[in-house]
Amino acid sequence: MSKAIRTENLVKRFRKVEALAGLDMVVPEGAIYAFAGPNGAGKTTAIKILMNIAGATQGRAEVLGLDSMRLAGRNFASIGYVSENQELPEWMRVDAFLAYLRPFYPTWDRALENDLVKQFDLPLNRKLKNLSRGMRMKAALAGALAFHPKLVVLDEPFTGLDPLVRDELIQGLLERAEESTIFISSHDLAEVESFASHVGYLERGKLSFSEELTSLVDRFREVELTFDAPPTLPAQLPETWMQLNTSAAVVRFVESRFDAEKTSSAVRSVFGSVRSTLFVPMSLRSIFLAMAKAGTALRTGAGTKRADL
Amino acid sequence: MKQIFHIFLKDACRYWRESAVSIALVTAFGWNEVRGWAHQNAFGSDSADFFTSKYLLGLVVVLLPVAWAFMVVRVIQGETLVGDRQFWVTRPYEWKKLLGAKLLYVLTFVNLPLVALQVYLLSKVGFHPATYAVGLFWMQVSIALYLLLPVAVLAVVTSTMVQVLLASLIIALYVGGMVALSTQVPSSSFSSSSDWLSGGLFVGTGLAIIVLQYARRDTMKSRWLMVGLAIVLFLFLVGTPYKTLVEHNFPQIGSGEAVPMQMALLPPEDPGGIGVFNKDGEAEVQLPMSVGGITPGDIIQVDGVLVEIRSPDGMRWDPGWTSPGLVLYPDQKATKATFTIKKDLFERIKALPVQIRISIAFTVFRERNRRDFIVPTGEFAMADAGLCSVESTFLPKIQCRAPVHGPTSLLLSTDMSMSTCPLEKGDVPASSGEIARAWTRNDDSAPPEPGISPMKDVDFYFSNANASSQQRRPGVCPASPLVLSNPEAVARNRIVLDADGVRLVEYQTKQMVITIDRSAVSR
Repeated sequence: MSKAIRTENLVKRFRKVEALAGLDMVVPEGAIYAFAGPNGAGKTTAIKILMNIAGATQGRAEVLGLDSMRLAGRNFASIGYVSENQELPEWMRVDAFLAYLRPFYPTWDRALENDLVKQFDLPLNRKLKNLSRGMRMKAALAGALAFHPKLVVLDEPFTGLDPLVRDELIQGLLERAEESTIFISSHDLAEVESFASHVGYLERGKLSFSEELTSLVDRFREVELTFDAPPTLPAQLPETWMQLNTSAAVVRFVESRFDAEKTSSAVRSVFGSVRSTLFVPMSLRSIFLAMAKAGTALRTGAGTKRADL
Repeated sequence: MKQIFHIFLKDACRYWRESAVSIALVTAFGWNEVRGWAHQNAFGSDSADFFTSKYLLGLVVVLLPVAWAFMVVRVIQGETLVGDRQFWVTRPYEWKKLLGAKLLYVLTFVNLPLVALQVYLLSKVGFHPATYAVGLFWMQVSIALYLLLPVAVLAVVTSTMVQVLLASLIIALYVGGMVALSTQVPSSSFSSSSDWLSGGLFVGTGLAIIVLQYARRDTMKSRWLMVGLAIVLFLFLVGTPYKTLVEHNFPQIGSGEAVPMQMALLPPEDPGGIGVFNKDGEAEVQLPMSVGGITPGDIIQVDGVLVEIRSPDGMRWDPGWTSPGLVLYPDQKATKATFTIKKDLFERIKALPVQIRISIAFTVFRERNRRDFIVPTGEFAMADAGLCSVESTFLPKIQCRAPVHGPTSLLLSTDMSMSTCPLEKGDVPASSGEIARAWTRNDDSAPPEPGISPMKDVDFYFSNANASSQQRRPGVCPASPLVLSNPEAVARNRIVLDADGVRLVEYQTKQMVITIDRSAVSR
């Protein structure tokens, strides 16, 4: 599968602050890639480099097979980019905004534009500056989707939107997912979990992991072990176990390489006999929380060695 | 091209108010200019209206460039090049087309109305605009270089009008500092050799910044380029070897070579009174000099004077070259070299017999194309000077309106004894051969003078270098005979005069002191 986005050892420094610390990322074509991570992780910086809005200090990035530093002019005819921070021509009415964008895109689809306007319920005769944040985002999205972009890049598009507007935007995106690669950054995992096909987690300028969502959810389990008596924890635990804690005769941990047989076998070899074993599927949010805590513990030296993810 | 027009139309819709104001001001300028001519032609008939017209014109002349500057900033910042949040940077804008659209806007709403106005004004006066197409083109270029380029440079490195104003303030302070500094750098006001280099550097850097910003949006680099330019211009000011340039441009006449003029220091005049100091605490010294040996048909333009003083105690004073703005004619007998000297230094050496060396850099002009001309009545055409008329009610002069550019070099001479102006009470008739002249010239290499109006006012004030100040200013009237010529520069030279035992106090400018008898006043 060819790649819509690829970065290699991408580094961005702002004086002494390292916003990106060697980002290696691959976004396959056709994916809905959720670019997740806490605030300040470097998501927006990475996207700005991808869109050639900012330059990288080191490393390289490719977007649709083109060096991102050469991305300009007509290259953007196949990229739809919307950011929460984007300054729109607020003096324009919605209809004028869409009409203004039309000639820039050879593939602009008037029918699709009309569909998007209807779907997003856009007030065509109102100026952008008089729209609510959600409506402005919808107008921007309509202007970024109506030309059948090969790649849609969205930087925190749902921040501050009410759930209804968010669902409308997601619906609008999903309807175009077949023809585009969608790269969407968010710090809210719950909002991307429902529709992303791939997920990458950025933390402190580095990608902790990047993989298909289904495989990620499949390989993480919360494991709850119940013993007859409080067990003795061995000094050495498997590296794939995270956040292990005990409460009387119950031991809980997160398995990051879950395989029912292998995990059961590992439990037996560590604890011997177990009264009951429970494997609980985890939400994306729980997975990230577990990883974030494991990362924090590792950095502060307060926990066990970080799981090999 | 389609994208250029598309962006242009968007800007035209968005900035219609700015464009309308600018066009209205252009129209007001034209209306007022024509009105001003009418009043000029009928001066004295309605002086209150005349001054209203002058006031309005002054206001429009100030407001119009401000309106243009405001409009250019707004249009450029419509797609601001500073920052990383603009929606357009991730749209299929091609930078060359964006730049082209902005250029088209400026051409449409600044240059086009201006050209239309200039064509109208030329036609109104009676000149055929097509004849002056090249001049009109250069006027547009000069507006672009003097006004639009600096404004555009500021607009591309800022994102708001407030930032532009702040940057303008910083630049104004810099320019003020440079001007103040230039008064302290000896000879800097005389030599203009480095001005062209500075100008070229300014234009080149300005264009580079605009292209860099549109192509790369590298604001930091562009701003550093501006700082670099400021530093280089500063270094030019303080580092240019002005004296060497003057000596190179005006070679000293060697022994045995023909000298185009003779000059010698004359004894001090004694008009009475006391020596005065100007407001800067400097003494003004005037060295009277005899002039002679100028070949008939030649004119000497004194480009620079350097006065060096050496006192008996070994002190040496050299303020650098200054531009006196003197012109010497063949029949001229005397002139004065004037300079100022700090009060404390003057007080120290004023009574000492000092050595003075006066270096004079000059250009020899030779009259070409001499022809006779009888001043007609009313408005008349005069070659090179445009449409002219005689103004004799206030300051006697010939006033002309020249199309696009004043005359390159036009000398008007008249034998005052043949003046047809009626003698007024107390006037002494001029003797035959007393020549009054009026000479106007522009640098040959200079493009048309910058400005909005294509009509350049050129006034010819006649003066006789040998006339005493008590004599009435010679004038010309209809039917007065003139000789017109076009002097051309033929040589540039430098002569050096030495004088020993000069006491500066004897040459200090004097002022008469009037003593009022208070008791007489009270009576």
